[in-house]
Amino acid sequence: MISINGESISILLFFVGVHGLIARRNIIKSIMSISIMQVAIILYFISANTAPGSVPPIGDVAQTLHVADPLPQALMITDIVIGIGVTAASLTMFIHLYHRFGSTNWQKVMKKRNHHD
Amino acid sequence: MINLHWVILLPIILGTIVKLISIKTAKKIMVLFQSALLISATMIFIEVRKNGTVLENIGGWPDTIGITLRADLLASAMVLLTCFLFLAMVIFVHNKNYADHLFFFLFLSLESLIIGIFLSNDLFNIFVLIEAATLIITVLIMYKKANVAIYDGMMYLLINVVAMSFFLIGLGMLYKKIGVLDFYALETALSQVKDPQSLILPYAFMITAVSLKAALMPLFSWLPKAHGTPSAPSVVSAILSGLYVKTGIYVFLRLQIAFSPLIDTSELFVILGLITAIVGFILALAQKDIKLLLAYSTVSQIGVIMIGLNLDNPMAYWGGLYHLMNHAIFKSTLFLTAGMIISEYQTRNLAEINGVFKHMPAVGVATILSILGIIGAPLFNGSISKYLIASGSSGTWIESGLILINLGTIVVFIKYGQLLFGSSGKKETADSDILEKAVVLTLSMLCFLGGIFGSELIAILFNVKLTVDRLSYSIKMLLFIGSIFLGILIYRGLFKKTNRLAFITSFELGFNEICLSITLFFAFMVAYLKLTL
Repeated sequence: MISINGESISILLFFVGVHGLIARRNIIKSIMSISIMQVAIILYFISANTAPGSVPPIGDVAQTLHVADPLPQALMITDIVIGIGVTAASLTMFIHLYHRFGSTNWQKVMKKRNHHD
Repeated sequence: MINLHWVILLPIILGTIVKLISIKTAKKIMVLFQSALLISATMIFIEVRKNGTVLENIGGWPDTIGITLRADLLASAMVLLTCFLFLAMVIFVHNKNYADHLFFFLFLSLESLIIGIFLSNDLFNIFVLIEAATLIITVLIMYKKANVAIYDGMMYLLINVVAMSFFLIGLGMLYKKIGVLDFYALETALSQVKDPQSLILPYAFMITAVSLKAALMPLFSWLPKAHGTPSAPSVVSAILSGLYVKTGIYVFLRLQIAFSPLIDTSELFVILGLITAIVGFILALAQKDIKLLLAYSTVSQIGVIMIGLNLDNPMAYWGGLYHLMNHAIFKSTLFLTAGMIISEYQTRNLAEINGVFKHMPAVGVATILSILGIIGAPLFNGSISKYLIASGSSGTWIESGLILINLGTIVVFIKYGQLLFGSSGKKETADSDILEKAVVLTLSMLCFLGGIFGSELIAILFNVKLTVDRLSYSIKMLLFIGSIFLGILIYRGLFKKTNRLAFITSFELGFNEICLSITLFFAFMVAYLKLTL
């Protein structure tokens, strides 16, 4: 029996993102799917290593018994920054791509690209 | 010896500072700086060679907690190669117009990131470095702003980001299970794990991403577009194909070593390498664009390297690593000369380029030397590494596979070599830049030196004694001469008049199909591991 917790939800979300990448021809939706995958990864890191009842490692935690592992949280701050950078870069590139090829469809863009060659 | 982190930081810092100086002085400073960096990389290498692995904990944290940089023999040899190639590239672009401040900033940052990947000892660190390198390369391959650049760049960026997402979720699962991200702590921790079943998912996720980075069989379709795109300056193509793709192989190697006590997939990767090599040369043969031909030949050579590294035989292993270094040298020479040829003839079509030998003698000599290197002609570096890989596989069916691959490579480069001969239709010899000629000639001479001093170089670089047996080496060379004749026959008979493989080029994977192949590869890895473990 799979329980509903952060870990299983995040794996589900990850594959929702993968499905979006495979099944959607729209470039914006591809970028959105990548963002969904990144959110899933962040959720996975944060939730998979936390024991129930533990306290986030913020502020004075000297008195608390169970402190959540701070390393995944630190890693995920880096990943959030990278994710924003990647999404911003791909959206900017998409604007240029749209100006050049006039379509949001991967297939049509690919055909026009090969026509240019 | 300077600290390891300075080797990583200095190029980025310099790339930022030179913005303040005029580009002419900046280029001179850059050459001096690269030479200094090469010297310090050599010093690190000598230190490692003498006293063993150098470890540096950044921030003064104890082992396995903070980020560690680790220079062992392989890593420092790769850093040496990186610094050397970047020195050559910086000299090569000295008189180019497109090399402005922004270009140098990106180019030197890429150097920092590549050195960082080689020295890093921490999986998450490697993820960050690769992700940053992906963004920088995306800008670099669109640098000349050709018509189609934006599509190629976008494909490259998104495919690699998807792959690295796979890597990161695998990393998360591994961290949940093991609790360390440090490569060598991982090695010890993994040897304690009793149940390999629990590591199937993290391993499959991570190896999928790394296989895409290394451009293995179903996952290589992004590579030729990125490496051979018209908008990439030839130095960028040279660095990507010669060096950057090797970071994927390097991380693959590190992962395989870390997981080796539990999960052994070397047989699978030998077969995948073989398929990659064969598919690579067939696709290369179908191309009519010279840069794409070279890019597909990179795919094929990566297959050869993978075979060597996974054969589970010391001869083949060191042969694979030596081939990795050799490929960096001859493929970057080939891309640089291809860039010079393209800018002289104003076309990328193989059929329209003739008489390079007469028209551009220096480029012709460099091209032919590196072609001799890549097809493994006697006395050239490719022959030594291919000989080592083949002798590691002797007695198995893989040996005949390797002969087939070499035959394919020969046919590809006979086709490529057609541009050297004939008449160019132009009267006088072209006046190309003296520095460019010097760089390509030096690099191609290295192909020759790497062949003559093959076993000595391997002894210096990897600290292993491998003897090249004269008798079996001469048998290999007879085989090579036979392959040459057969290759010429095949080329004359099948490909001279018409390109019989041209129909292959009309199949092209779009973004969705590549994502599907990533997912299928992942599913295949999971199923394979479930069945074999």
